[in-house]
Amino acid sequence: MQKPRPRVKLPKSVSKGVPFTVRTRITHPMHTGLRLGRDGKRIARRIINRFVVRYNGEEAISVDLERAVSADPYFSFEMAVQESGDIEFEWVDDDGSVHRLGRRVEVKS
Amino acid sequence: MHTTRRQLLSFAGAALAALAAGPAGLLPVRVARGANETQLAIALFTKGALPLEGGVLIEAPEIADNGGAVPVRVSADGARRIALFADGNPSPGVAVFSFGKWVKPAASTRIRLAGSQKLIAVAEMADGTFRATSRSIKVTAGGC
Repeated sequence: MQKPRPRVKLPKSVSKGVPFTVRTRITHPMHTGLRLGRDGKRIARRIINRFVVRYNGEEAISVDLERAVSADPYFSFEMAVQESGDIEFEWVDDDGSVHRLGRRVEVKS
Repeated sequence: MHTTRRQLLSFAGAALAALAAGPAGLLPVRVARGANETQLAIALFTKGALPLEGGVLIEAPEIADNGGAVPVRVSADGARRIALFADGNPSPGVAVFSFGKWVKPAASTRIRLAGSQKLIAVAEMADGTFRATSRSIKVTAGGC
């Protein structure tokens, strides 16, 4: 399998307290563990089971995923912040690996 | 690390039995008797509390061409968590969203649906009560 590639889209600068949209996606097969491969054997379950977004170290949103979330899991949400900060995205894989991405959000005065 | 469906079910059964044996009225009778997997999953999320109808919104297409990726948005003003369930999937759980102070209690994602079925969203409000809503979706090509 190719290494999961995370992507996020959000404004570089925002206005204080004004909501902005964050879009996230990671390339991942999200194997349900129900399907059979070409060899007739069951493909083992392997999904992203948790997604966490932190702003300046504090949790902004988290998602516990089940296998009913589509391949290449996509999430979007709206947030509003009072001060500039670092936003961190974390995807936890069934295989134990954690895929991370970070961005800087500047609050215009 | 992951609970199997069997473990989950036996845990749900034990939890429900414990709740049913506890204070009367804690567990709605219709969950306790003849409950299906979705009702058990919801009861696990609400710890046996009966959610009030309304106050939660599921936005999704009425008819989905591709069951492998159905766009869905859930929202509930004043919620700290929202759980989404798909009643007609091999296992009902889809995702549980937890919202911190900067984020509006709403989120969009794409989900797999095995066929035409009912989606149920249950929100845990800031005061600890639960709200729920459901929405039927027609799926022309299943995606599980």
